[in-house]
Amino acid sequence: MISQRILDLVMLTEIALIALAVSLYFLHGVWLLLNQRRITAATDSARETLVRLVNTGVVDTEQVKSLGKIPRGVQVTIFLEASRNLSGAAKERLRFVAQQVGVLDRARKLCESRWWTRRLRGARILSRMDIPDPLVLELLRDRNPAVRAQAAEWASAQPSVPVITAMLRLLADPTTQARFAVQTALLRMGAVVAGPLATFLERNSGRAAEAGLRVAESLAEPRFEAAALRLSRTDDVAIRTASAKLLGGIGGAPAAERLVELLSDGAPEVRAAAAQSLGRMHHWQSGSMLAQGLKDPTWRVRRQSALALRALGAPGALFLRRAMKGDDRFAVDMAQQILELPAAAAG
Amino acid sequence: MSDLIQAALGRMLVAGEFIVLLYFVGVNLWYLALLVSSMLELRRHMLLISGESRHLLLSSTLSPTISILAPAFNEAASIETSLRALLALQYPSLEVIVISDGSKDRTVEVLVERFDLVPVKPIYEQRIKTKPVRSLYRSSTYPSLVVVDKENGGKADALNVGLSFARGELVCAMDADTLIEADGLQRMVRPFLLATDVVAAGGTIRVVNGSDVKFGRVVRTEVPTNPLAGIQAVEYLRAFLFGRLGWNRLGGNIIVSGAFGLFHREAVLSAGGYLHDTVGEDMELVLRLKRLSYERGGPGRVAFVPDSVAWTEVPESAKILGRQRDRWHRGLADVLWRHRQMLFNPRYGITGVFVYPYYLLVELLAPFFEAVGLTTLGIGLALGLADWRFAALFYLSAYGLGTALTAVTLIIEDVSFHRYDTFRDRGLLFCWALVENLGYRQLTVYWRLRGVWKFLRGRKDWGAMERKGFSAIPVVRTGAL
Repeated sequence: MISQRILDLVMLTEIALIALAVSLYFLHGVWLLLNQRRITAATDSARETLVRLVNTGVVDTEQVKSLGKIPRGVQVTIFLEASRNLSGAAKERLRFVAQQVGVLDRARKLCESRWWTRRLRGARILSRMDIPDPLVLELLRDRNPAVRAQAAEWASAQPSVPVITAMLRLLADPTTQARFAVQTALLRMGAVVAGPLATFLERNSGRAAEAGLRVAESLAEPRFEAAALRLSRTDDVAIRTASAKLLGGIGGAPAAERLVELLSDGAPEVRAAAAQSLGRMHHWQSGSMLAQGLKDPTWRVRRQSALALRALGAPGALFLRRAMKGDDRFAVDMAQQILELPAAAAG
Repeated sequence: MSDLIQAALGRMLVAGEFIVLLYFVGVNLWYLALLVSSMLELRRHMLLISGESRHLLLSSTLSPTISILAPAFNEAASIETSLRALLALQYPSLEVIVISDGSKDRTVEVLVERFDLVPVKPIYEQRIKTKPVRSLYRSSTYPSLVVVDKENGGKADALNVGLSFARGELVCAMDADTLIEADGLQRMVRPFLLATDVVAAGGTIRVVNGSDVKFGRVVRTEVPTNPLAGIQAVEYLRAFLFGRLGWNRLGGNIIVSGAFGLFHREAVLSAGGYLHDTVGEDMELVLRLKRLSYERGGPGRVAFVPDSVAWTEVPESAKILGRQRDRWHRGLADVLWRHRQMLFNPRYGITGVFVYPYYLLVELLAPFFEAVGLTTLGIGLALGLADWRFAALFYLSAYGLGTALTAVTLIIEDVSFHRYDTFRDRGLLFCWALVENLGYRQLTVYWRLRGVWKFLRGRKDWGAMERKGFSAIPVVRTGAL
């Protein structure tokens, strides 16, 4: 029925497969062990050489040559490791040595590869070494979102006009990863992006504006006021919500006035954001309007109104206590919960 | 006449065995395809994360908020350590919600004492019907900590209550005794940043038995020396490193472990949350999210993140393990039955045409085929109706190929994450991979068949689950969780 030949064939194949897998498994273990020893020794001595080169500032050709001889992976590791902990003149010297050893040229070559994984690796090296290379700027337009995101990370340390302009264009990126990286990188650039971002927000709407508003909210610069007021009147709920949050960060009479108007917006998300912002601004004059929010049909608006009242301090607490004696049981419950919250949890 | 009957019986037995043999060959070939897929996926993944710096995510005010939902039932002995480890997870915007599911011990009292909890009025937005909440606590020292004390209703009910209190864009469902690695959430959030259509992501669960745990963190990993735990360590590696990773590439992931999974809160809430009346609530939720994404046209991708790791304690007694496996298989049968309209239905894309049939034919029915194969082979050999060559071929197809695939999985683990780096650990792992075919696998066949039998009889109990715990004090978990 089953011939001996078939059986032998199956058995031999399986035994061979298992034997091969097991040998590979254990041989890989041996290789890992030996490689680890070799790499540890090479890394330790290379680290020492690199520290000497960077500390003295004198380029010893022999030492540079010795760094060039260690495995490339180790080279990258020690340079990136050192880069994280250095700044100023020491970092300049580190970059110089990296250039001499060939780490940077290889990274540049990787950036030009047709394989996205290599471009990503190249961008990671140049980014973590803070190399202001136009090649990485080009990668902001790469077809792979992971590479674009990495280029955005690089850009966070290169706050120049062309970089910021290219980054702002990426706020409309269709992939979340690149958009998130760009937003975070813009935030890390700090106040320098406020001007271009304000202009960008004045001219844009849609997804790009929403992404920009989130950055602007964290920067909270008065320069965003005109754009925030304009965008708070658009039809898009997400944009109106983000504008309300930004207005709360900016503060001032026009912002407060608009936020009070937004308390009666048709979308609960916008009403909640407006209440939150008024609380953030400590705008006690809007206390009675916020107290009305305690009776809102939407849970989130009631909660944000109560939290905003609590943020107002004594006047807000008065409104909350008054609400507890009212006849709206939803307002009573919410007011009681927020008044009972420990200070640490009410922020 | 008796010769005729014997011949007919013999032919039937042989035909039956051939069908079972073909089934095993088919399953193993499919596993091979899955293995290739997992290798390709792992290579891509390793290239993506190699040299990755997550400081942007860590320092960003724009990172999505994660609410950890930790249901606890009679966890007084270990809750403080577990919670401190959760509060110390490296993630910039984190909220931790502990839901005491009607604990009868001092779980809530311990939390109140150790975390400066203050009772506040227990009102919340109830979008899913749950058992009543008895009290709500907020901490005076940990702003991101919320403790809910509710009436006992089971893990699904506790998670639903947690969903109602959560404020994060993403929710992390876990077991209170799962140990999440410090950077686990940073890694797990990656798919949600990569794409907008992701609704759930799961991480790798590893076996903690035998390893050293200090302050809720695994400080030294070792392969368990206990045979049952050791074999499960191999099983977990196989399930995650080639099963889920392979499906990830094919877009067919429908399982996110209940011990550690990240979900888009709004997607879960609009799907109606966790179901109460199933023991496979985690798989049911994911399959429902998938199904609804096809029916409503929204996002529905489920991702697996191999480098995001959580550790769990596995049973070391056959009795407890049997209960667990019986429950898992009951859950699988229940979930597949509930969503039976997806079977071979092109409306549900790859999930309906390919993934669902796989879970039905390979995962659910495998113990039947294995039991039929082993029984008929035994009868055939006893009556002299099957020859020993056939028996050998059957065993080689059913178990030998599986062992070879497991050995390859061990290589994948060694090449990628190599959490077990001593030769002792390697030897032990391989030893457990061989030993699992000698009795353990046959036992799981029995447990899984028992699970299906209980499902058919409508049993929905969880059974007692005893754990040794990570601290010196043993933790006993019973009841609904």
